[in-house]
Amino acid sequence: MQTINSILAIFYREYKITFRNFNDIFTILVFFLLGILIFVFSIGPNKEIFNYISIGIIWTLLLLSTNLSINKFYKNDFKDGNIILFYMSGLSFEVIVLIKLITMWVFFQLPFVIIIPIASLILDIDTEKILLNLYVFLIGSPILTSLASISGSMNLLNNRNFAISSIIIMILSIPLIIFSVGIVSATPELIEPQLNILIGILFLFLAITPWASAACIKISLRNI
Amino acid sequence: MLLVNNLSFARNDKEIFKDLDFSVGPKRIIHIAGRNGIGKTTLIKILANILIPKTGEIYWNGKNVKKNLRDFFKNSTLIMDIHTSKSELTVFENTIFWKRLFSSKIKQTELESIFKILSLNKNSKAGFLSKGEIKKLELCRLIIEQKKLWLLDEPYVGLDESSIKLINETFNNHIENEGMIIFSSNSQPQLKNMDTIHLENYANN
Amino acid sequence: MIKVFINPDKFEKFSNIIIKPLFLISFISLILGLIFSFYLSPDDYQQGSTVRIMYIHVPSAWLAMLTLFIMTIYSVIALVFKISFGFIVNSALAPIGATFTFICMFTGSLWGKPMWGTWWVWDARLTSVAILFLIYLIIIFLRKSFSDINFGEKITAIFIIISSINLPIIKFSVDWWNTLHQPASISKLSSPSIDPSMLRPLIIMLVSFMCIGLLIAIIRIKAEIIERKQKI
Repeated sequence: MQTINSILAIFYREYKITFRNFNDIFTILVFFLLGILIFVFSIGPNKEIFNYISIGIIWTLLLLSTNLSINKFYKNDFKDGNIILFYMSGLSFEVIVLIKLITMWVFFQLPFVIIIPIASLILDIDTEKILLNLYVFLIGSPILTSLASISGSMNLLNNRNFAISSIIIMILSIPLIIFSVGIVSATPELIEPQLNILIGILFLFLAITPWASAACIKISLRNI
Repeated sequence: MLLVNNLSFARNDKEIFKDLDFSVGPKRIIHIAGRNGIGKTTLIKILANILIPKTGEIYWNGKNVKKNLRDFFKNSTLIMDIHTSKSELTVFENTIFWKRLFSSKIKQTELESIFKILSLNKNSKAGFLSKGEIKKLELCRLIIEQKKLWLLDEPYVGLDESSIKLINETFNNHIENEGMIIFSSNSQPQLKNMDTIHLENYANN
Repeated sequence: MIKVFINPDKFEKFSNIIIKPLFLISFISLILGLIFSFYLSPDDYQQGSTVRIMYIHVPSAWLAMLTLFIMTIYSVIALVFKISFGFIVNSALAPIGATFTFICMFTGSLWGKPMWGTWWVWDARLTSVAILFLIYLIIIFLRKSFSDINFGEKITAIFIIISSINLPIIKFSVDWWNTLHQPASISKLSSPSIDPSMLRPLIIMLVSFMCIGLLIAIIRIKAEIIERKQKI
């Protein structure tokens, strides 16, 4: 009972803090839309090409937008001692990671449910594909959040090499990109098997992430 | 009752201190003293089980802390020189969060009276407080968590004279109520039942 | 016996004994393998003489993956059993794995030019190897980007474990992606013929690459042990 109260207290606090810092989320959403714009400028408004690559662009930009939220995972709470506080209140590191995963998914991935259809309309994608893409997004975005958590927890004490956190998330996201784009662009028979594989990848990462992130946070704490 | 046995710590193969033994029981205070950089903060972190010592064991109520973390954390509060209050939340919201996080039984009226004594405005955002006020807010956690063992690293930094007096009174009250305090500081406060450990005696140079 | 793989001192003694014979075996098997590859094996009926690059390309691919596998095992040993020799092995093997991966990509390119007319082709194996190369680079960079090396190697070990769990998934998804986008071309890069006259040089080259890799690894591990002893 006490643990549940502590967990709910943390959720409530994260909710309050993120709401008062909503600019961060807005900036990332604008980054996404600007990215689409840049693609349009760099490729030219050629409708045929965009028919072919639009889903790929959306998923690439989702990945890059998640890059921006890596540092928000643990760095602040690590630096001001809140992670230690949570630990001393009786929560294990894995629980702390799970709480962070849920809050980061709700605040930094869920808003895309509104933005992706807008972007899809700009890129002139069919309605069925938009709906399918949203469904795939609901499965793929927790994977993105898990990857961001792993990368964020590895880089808590990294003050020199800033790009490496982005590189880590990018290389681990290759299967996600291949299958997410594959599902939406596929012929109907191929949708179900790829969907199953994607769900499998989701469960794999949901299993690895609490262990990996908690281990990295623990190691980082012992080395502050 | 906290017992420390044969504690030593090394960072990057450089020994910081060794052969440290001491214990603190109810109604006692331990003051860890020493010059800057001698390892006072490190020792507090080891006692709080955040850093792992090179050798040595820490026992809480007879049991090894490593195997009994839950029990140890249930009975100890750690306050360091960093502030865990969030600047976007008000003083009140921060304290309510701590109350819920630690399932504390402190009443809202008690909280309000604490704010009055510390002269903190409960509705001002923590980001707008001065350094000393943030420190006082952080020290509220001691009262909110209501734990027996208090571990503090440099609790007096940034506090004005009246606040220092308040803190010392709080410490003395805690001791009267069977509490224990271990704190590190560069100043020499006047407290009852206090033993001082000079880390220079255990350092390696 | 097992202690050799875990204890640095026992490893040093073992390596002193084994280095000279290992050097000999590597040298002989390399010469033998090259002779077999370039003279004593037949031409491919389709690709002609260019198939001989396979005798370098395929063993280096296997060795690239074998190195990562060994690094994963040592990462688990180092993190779970707290045996720091594992970190030494990791830092020694990472550049070796990167080099083998690079040789595989380079020979793949050389093979691709006469076959498909381009220096790079998005073949399933080549793409997977490119990803593996990037993983090796990240391992090397990650270790160096922390001021405290002891901390960096632990984080790198976790990363190695995560990437090896992911590697089968990545390989599978790249294969999938490749078949979706290139249904027409059958990749000759990934299927060596099973004819014994072609299998023999392949095995010999594989053995020689393993010995060479082992040789370099032992030298690097010894150097790392000496360097760490000096620090203390």
